[in-house]
Amino acid sequence: MIRGGKSFVSSPPAFSNDAKKLLICTGNNVSVFSTSTGLQITELEGHTALVTSVIVVPASTPASKILCYCWTSSLDGTIRYWDVSVPELMKTIDIRFPIFSMVIPGLLPQQAESNEKPPDLFAYVSTKNMKEQEQLPNNLSGQIRLSKKKILSGQIRKCNLTQSRLARGVTLAETQNPELITICSSGKYIGIREKCTIRIWDVPAKDSDDAVLKKIRLHRTKKLSILAFHPTERIIAAGDVTGRILIWRGFGQKTFSISDKSINRGLMKNEDERSGVRGDDDADSCTTWHWHSAEVKVLFFSSDGAYLYSGGKEGVLVVWQLDTEKKKFLPRIGSPLIYFINSPDPSLSSISCADNRVHLLKMPSMKILKSIAGIKLPCSVPEIYKGSCNGFGFDHTAGLVAIRTENYCIQFYSLFDDREISEVQVCERNHQPGDEVTVIVTLVALSLDGSVMSTVETKLPDEGIGGLVSLKFWACGAQSKDFSLSTIIYEPHRDAGVSAIAFHPTRHIAVSSSYGGDFKIWVRNHEIQQKDRMLQNGGWTCHAVGSYKKKPMTAATFSADGSVLAVAAETVITLWDPEKNVLVAVIGECLEPIARLSFVGKSEYLVSASRGSSPQVSVWSMSKLSVCWSYKLHAEAVACSVDDSSFAILALPISSHHMESNETTLQGMEDGMILLFNVGDPVPVVTWFVRKAKGGGLAFLHMTSASLEENISDEKPAPVLLAYINGDHEYVLFDPYGEQAPERSVAHQGSLVGLEETGKFGYASIFGELPEFNLKRNQSPSVAIVPSGKPWETIFSGSSHNLPPLTKLCTAFLESLLEKRTAILE
Amino acid sequence: MAEEDTAIAKTFPVKSKLKTSRKSTSNPESKYWKSFKPQPTQTLISSITSLSFSPTPPHDFAATHSATVTIFSTQTLEPKATISAFTDTATSASFRSDGRLIAAGSHSGIVQVFDVKTRSPLRKLRGHSRPVHLVRYPRVDKLHLFSGGDDAIVKYWDVASQTQISELLGHKDYVRCGDGSPASDDMFVTGSYDHTIRLWDVRVSGSSSVMEVNHGKPVEDVIFLPSGGLIATAGGNSVKIWDVIGGGKLLYSMESHNKTVSSICVGKIGRESEEESHQYRILSVSLDGYMKVFDYAKFKITHSMRFPAPLLSIGFSPDCLARVIGTSNGIIYAGKRKVKENVGSMEDPQKRVLRPSYFRYFHRGQNEKPSEGDYLITKPKKVKLAEHDKLLNKFRHKEALVSALSGKNPENVVAVMEELVARKKLLKCVSNLDTEELGLLLRFLQRHSTMLRYAGLLMGLTKKVIEMRAEDVRASDVLKGHIRNLKRSVEEEIRMQQSLQEIQGIISPLLRIAGRR
Repeated sequence: MIRGGKSFVSSPPAFSNDAKKLLICTGNNVSVFSTSTGLQITELEGHTALVTSVIVVPASTPASKILCYCWTSSLDGTIRYWDVSVPELMKTIDIRFPIFSMVIPGLLPQQAESNEKPPDLFAYVSTKNMKEQEQLPNNLSGQIRLSKKKILSGQIRKCNLTQSRLARGVTLAETQNPELITICSSGKYIGIREKCTIRIWDVPAKDSDDAVLKKIRLHRTKKLSILAFHPTERIIAAGDVTGRILIWRGFGQKTFSISDKSINRGLMKNEDERSGVRGDDDADSCTTWHWHSAEVKVLFFSSDGAYLYSGGKEGVLVVWQLDTEKKKFLPRIGSPLIYFINSPDPSLSSISCADNRVHLLKMPSMKILKSIAGIKLPCSVPEIYKGSCNGFGFDHTAGLVAIRTENYCIQFYSLFDDREISEVQVCERNHQPGDEVTVIVTLVALSLDGSVMSTVETKLPDEGIGGLVSLKFWACGAQSKDFSLSTIIYEPHRDAGVSAIAFHPTRHIAVSSSYGGDFKIWVRNHEIQQKDRMLQNGGWTCHAVGSYKKKPMTAATFSADGSVLAVAAETVITLWDPEKNVLVAVIGECLEPIARLSFVGKSEYLVSASRGSSPQVSVWSMSKLSVCWSYKLHAEAVACSVDDSSFAILALPISSHHMESNETTLQGMEDGMILLFNVGDPVPVVTWFVRKAKGGGLAFLHMTSASLEENISDEKPAPVLLAYINGDHEYVLFDPYGEQAPERSVAHQGSLVGLEETGKFGYASIFGELPEFNLKRNQSPSVAIVPSGKPWETIFSGSSHNLPPLTKLCTAFLESLLEKRTAILE
Repeated sequence: MAEEDTAIAKTFPVKSKLKTSRKSTSNPESKYWKSFKPQPTQTLISSITSLSFSPTPPHDFAATHSATVTIFSTQTLEPKATISAFTDTATSASFRSDGRLIAAGSHSGIVQVFDVKTRSPLRKLRGHSRPVHLVRYPRVDKLHLFSGGDDAIVKYWDVASQTQISELLGHKDYVRCGDGSPASDDMFVTGSYDHTIRLWDVRVSGSSSVMEVNHGKPVEDVIFLPSGGLIATAGGNSVKIWDVIGGGKLLYSMESHNKTVSSICVGKIGRESEEESHQYRILSVSLDGYMKVFDYAKFKITHSMRFPAPLLSIGFSPDCLARVIGTSNGIIYAGKRKVKENVGSMEDPQKRVLRPSYFRYFHRGQNEKPSEGDYLITKPKKVKLAEHDKLLNKFRHKEALVSALSGKNPENVVAVMEELVARKKLLKCVSNLDTEELGLLLRFLQRHSTMLRYAGLLMGLTKKVIEMRAEDVRASDVLKGHIRNLKRSVEEEIRMQQSLQEIQGIISPLLRIAGRR
């Protein structure tokens, strides 16, 4: 079983001390990526729920830089300590509360004195009060409001890491929701933001269990979204939902300062001088900067404190010079920014984007060195067009999934290797992440051999003008999945939307059905091989048009041998001969329009799925032209195996019907199930309950790649795997007939690459790799010359200083003059 | 690294929809035939009755027109020499195999042989009583020639002694054409207005033809195809190909000309160093002004070309470098193909070793070209963005629209409009336009809203614009004028649509009936 497709951006990543590794929280694991190659090196496995923070222990001496230890916290209520380089779990602290955020102030100052016993290490964790939780089972979101009482479920607590326990009775704050704790890079202050206020605590230098933390609050009229501490001065920056950045200078002058002088200074300042500071907030001044048009999500001070990085929904990283307010931009990142992290190496930092991508930046120039891309998240689609979007395109043999992305691309993601293969720009348009969605890639389909892709994009009209549907066919380049555009068809069905595309299993024929009441069969012209080796790719042309009683055509599919084309005309299924374009038969009558049609393998059965108020999944027999059996099920996805006669359905509960939750409720609601059927039998073979099934996908994958066979060599090699992708694009691959439940997690090591020291230095760093000199070329002439009988020409060629000594040459020379008798020894 | 870089900072300029590309005819063959750039040479006095190339390099060609034979140089396409020792219209010039003599007939019935260099008439072959339209030297033989005239007689001559060796009778009408066999110098074909083509063998005693085929129309031209086994005949609107060895079987009839085919010749696709070099084609010209290239291996027309005048004669140089076509109004369209100067790459002269005492020493290597295996570090290409793209990137939507409108390219305007639709800003832009800019928009709409490619977007937009800006239009006379024009063009379009619909109404029953059959 293979799991993957986790979010890389659920929580901020962390750099290792030598900046060669990037630790990214991916679901229940922490994945370690090499910053030079952008590939995954290893994984830290052990947490049983989402990892929420990872903190790398800074190196105290330059020598220990290559060592890497880290603390992680997770929603499973544990804090763990790891040796990343091995990788090995070294310590587990169970505090039994889900941890949403953790900071460890004591780590940050360098501990020079080693003869003393090091003081206890304390972590501040943002947890959720589980007692409230117990009163209200089933509620995980934390956004609970009882009728009268406000429930403060979020708590900031202190945890003694050295003694592995929570500091008793110390609850710094209670908040409505668990908040993200921000820490100053010197470890002096920690802060959280809660709605319109910021709470800041001063962490004492010698922290102990019962140390009292001084605290202040800063206020703002708008809801705040993020805050950041200046590394050296008492400056705090906060971003709010309107896109403004507030800079408080000299916060906590009164409260935190111990020395009398500063108190006096603070008192001397009268109220008028404290420009922009609200009420009796403890700060010298507050300035507001405004560039962002939407909520600020990223704020980060550079390590010297001279610059402030900010970013948000626009996908533009803004660098503010703190003193002059001058701005520099890194535009067109293409997706909202979530985190910005710098590394111990001043020339490297990383941005995490909302599209599940982590970019590594070369710092002063802000050039993107590498991108670590996870699976793209589902794109938002206006509600009216939801129905016309299909989920995924699967390449069944290569184990690839084609995902429609927000920025008009198709991402090819390898399910076996859990990494991005390529991205195809479907619509050449600049994507502004903040904008309203007006252009959508609605459909993607791959031919059975994966060589042809077809996409449909819809441009939504603006008050009735300018809408456009275009159908595109893409041809695959050699081997790698880089598709090139072969044909564009504008308005393939006039102005009606395309409901489905299906490819003929063996030949270059495709069918597109439309809500406008017709379907078209497209064929590819024969390729013209021209003499000058320019392979002119044949374009796709319309071969036939068909319609049935002007009814909207809602789904289409070819049978396994391609001899029958089934097109759903709203509630009935029409069967056509795709060659002659002749209507063969009309079967069935569903209650609701059919949304999916699929032939089951090579059998004579056809599965149809309809949605709506009275959904239905029916199996039709082609020999009897009648329904065999049907269920009242809302099928989100239907997958049919190619060879045998089984199929799987991803079923959603019908409307408000809830599943009885068993003990797995702790891990979240299971809102869908996968049913595996054998086609002749209405009783499902296997049933699995799954989470986040809405918007999910199913597919049977065929394992053919040899490398994969190796990975599971200990098990029986499974010929068919069932892939399930949930609504958040996390996926799991498992053998549908295997014994193991999908909950069991089996590690896959296939894609991990060893950490190579690929950092280039010296000549190579400037000029790149030298081309490898072809040694063969040097050797082959010498081989050729020996039988020619004139070796002296080669013996003495070359400059004198690199000739061998004369004594050696002489023997060779004389030898060459002697006539050699060819040995005839057989 | 570079790819990553471009992946992030890509900017796409707005693009209009692609045009449907017409089925391109530029396959390599038509490219070849187009490479003969036809240029009209100086007008000669009257129609060009024949064109023939010298078989020896430099392959000059002779054109007969009125009472002269003009010899042109293939290199310059300029007249080189003129032979005007004719008393009547000259016809059918033919070079001897060594290219030193030329024979030509005339309407006076005399066949004359000239020295090409001195232009002096060497021999006069008298015997025909009517105009001679066919004079041919055999392919190799230097001593004999054959001729045919309007007296329906074909004669075989010994040139040196000016005597006629044999008189071949059989045709019943004017003999107008003929060709010597490439296989044997003793055999030739002649075509006549009695619809027949006869194959003669002078070795056969008796003056009857060896073979006879019937073309069905007066034969205007007949040629042997290079193998010697096939002949092609032109008459009426058709070119027919016959198998001579197979007893005169008709292989194919090419009927794609609309008027009488006046002349045919063998063309060759001669490209050096390619496996498909020396493919032969039949070039035919007709009075309809078309030159067609016919591939007789595949029985397919591979290229066709139109000229503005009725074409009478065609010639193709044996070295495949020139093709000349004569018209009835005295213009010769001579096309020459450029060949790459295939100069053998000379050894580079020994380069002097540069020393620091030369100034060039310090400039050495600056003009070095990268060799094949070198790793090239190129400057990142700067994306050139048009004005409207820059403005769109800055979200200055109205300026972008106005900038595109003031440009000339309607595609850009439509592309900008489509992008604005995608940003839901088009109507806002329209409402913000001032009077002058609105005039610009209305003029654009008037010109292009009825064009099929843009109509889908522009008709809707036009309606909206008129709705939204009615007040402003009423206020300004200039805008009223634009609206009037717009109305007129829309009305015109509607009229056209109606008449097209009428035509469709007429045609569709016909098609229905045709489909039923």
